Amino acid sequence: MEVQLQSEPREVTTAPALGRHQVEDGMAASTPAARESGFAPRSSTPGVAAGIERRTWEPLVGDELLGRLRITGRPRPKTDPELAHRLRAELEDGLLGDDSDRRGGPPLVVTKDRLTRVLACEAHYVASEFGDRLPTVAMACGALIDVLFRQLVTVGSISDAMADGLAALSVDDHHRALVSWIDRLTDSQRDELRTEVERQANGLVRRWPTLDPAWFPRTQESVRVRLAGGTIELSARVDLAIGAPAQDEGSVAIIEIKSGVRRVEHRSDLHFYALLETLRSLAPPFVVATYYTRTGELDVEPVSDDLLIGAARRTLAGTRLLLNLAEGSEPRRTPSGLCGVCAALPTCEPGQHRTIGRVRHRAQGSDGR
Amino acid sequence: MMRAGDLTGVALSPAGVTIDDVVRAEIRHRLIARIGPLVEPTAPGRPIVVTLALLRQARTRVESLGEPEDPFAWKPIFVRRSLGLAIVAACANGRFRSPLEAAGPVASEAVSEWERTGWRTFHWEPWFAGLADGARAMVLADAVGWATSIWLSFDWNQLRPLPQIGSGDDQWICPAGRTVRLKGRSELRVPLAVASPLERERRPTPANEVGNRVALVSVSGGCPTEWWSEELAYLALVAGLRWPARPVPPRVLGLWPDSGIHLSLEIDEEALHSAADRVVDTVRAVVEACQSAAA
Repeated sequence: MEVQLQSEPREVTTAPALGRHQVEDGMAASTPAARESGFAPRSSTPGVAAGIERRTWEPLVGDELLGRLRITGRPRPKTDPELAHRLRAELEDGLLGDDSDRRGGPPLVVTKDRLTRVLACEAHYVASEFGDRLPTVAMACGALIDVLFRQLVTVGSISDAMADGLAALSVDDHHRALVSWIDRLTDSQRDELRTEVERQANGLVRRWPTLDPAWFPRTQESVRVRLAGGTIELSARVDLAIGAPAQDEGSVAIIEIKSGVRRVEHRSDLHFYALLETLRSLAPPFVVATYYTRTGELDVEPVSDDLLIGAARRTLAGTRLLLNLAEGSEPRRTPSGLCGVCAALPTCEPGQHRTIGRVRHRAQGSDGR
Repeated sequence: MMRAGDLTGVALSPAGVTIDDVVRAEIRHRLIARIGPLVEPTAPGRPIVVTLALLRQARTRVESLGEPEDPFAWKPIFVRRSLGLAIVAACANGRFRSPLEAAGPVASEAVSEWERTGWRTFHWEPWFAGLADGARAMVLADAVGWATSIWLSFDWNQLRPLPQIGSGDDQWICPAGRTVRLKGRSELRVPLAVASPLERERRPTPANEVGNRVALVSVSGGCPTEWWSEELAYLALVAGLRWPARPVPPRVLGLWPDSGIHLSLEIDEEALHSAADRVVDTVRAVVEACQSAAA
């Protein structure tokens, strides 16, 4: 599905739509499932009920942000184990015949990042799978914001963003190299990092709503789905899941936190999460969303059957490519926006052609903007 | 994924098969007879501690058995289970509405108790107390996630009397030239209802009462392996060896919250023999790995 994302800042008028949703809101809250889920919509959302129309974009704050997550504008999807079985069957059927050589060995682990990379360019995927990624300030900022978000959800406060974030990373073995890298930054680089982390953390503290513990918020939740006799494992770790498992209708919200800029592939990541949650729980989440801590943007998408079917097809296509590469296929080179940051660029003719072409294009001032 | 009410029903339902003491004794003797000769060549060596994790490692990553272990250092993952179970217990007892609400107070109480008495209920109290705010929050966040997955798996209103939540591991030491200790760790022990000719179904008695039949509940990360039934039966085997006067747990439930899979195993003689075979295979693999490393 082609997704058009609005550039920021943008003009939005949300109040009339939300007003309409409040009717559903009351209906949803009246069902036992909605009440049990705990993350049921409220009958009114402060700041929204007033019918305020905004003409310039500004980030949602507190209950308004929460309302946007809870009230998607569509009825919550019904729990439909049959749909989950069909999605699984589509994946299994599509992978049939590819698993014979892999049986008994460790599963091929399919993550959102691997899918995105292999679907963009197989050569880029292969190049990025080997060797450690060199840390960058942006990467460090992302890791720090991730743990600070966990802290905010869990204990409700952040006192000193940089100190708290570093303390959190230091108890995680996976971040040992990153912490060591941050320690070795020059003063100016460290100041740059600190400034951005503090800016984003302050934004989080000001805007992110307090989540009622009765909604069972949990951070960094692991989701795994085995396919094709255990030869394939779809794997995700969601930044925040809210809501008890579904009874009669979707009751779980999944939220991804991003400290960087908005990218079109983030939507596909969300769809992948929705698919995995559906396969795992036999009920789809009712909403998936990305929260951009850099700007305070919230990109919300209600989950529908079409979304899940699209996600299953994309996952199948990417998984087949990953399987082919794991079995020794020569990776195809597909020039894309990733060429500029690809480790294989020095030896990749199509990639060089694209990047040189873009540089010339820009130099001539005719890049279309 | 099974709904909480359904899973609770499965856990509580009366169990059919009873393992008699003759069978239990036979399995015990066979284990001793098979493990003894296996470990004899390496005796006296460091104790071999068989756990569920070791059973899995010996099947899926046998080459790693001979690798030296990293020196122990506390990490959030080592706190997750014990703090998570304390959180679940606090919720089950009605003190808190949810794991997120319980996590901070439960951890603080543990630290306060240690500071007041010097007694470490969980062992991690001094480490946790010394952490900076950010690190402490990660420990709590991990425990909240883990506890929430258990809390949401069951209908706790049906689980009355309450199951035994956590408590010590079952351990049985195999008499051999080199110490082989079997450790079984269950997250819950759920007292089972029993069929009764007088009442159609008698209410269960508390889980820690001698003579009561309990279902064990084991929680694991990731996805079940293809040998999941042997692994669940292992927990019943160790409990049966550890407590000869108590009935062998007739049922073990395995929960894999990451993958939404819940599996139930009724324990019969065959299941116990399979688990015993798996223990022997694991000890053999460990001994071979030790010998290779020493060579």
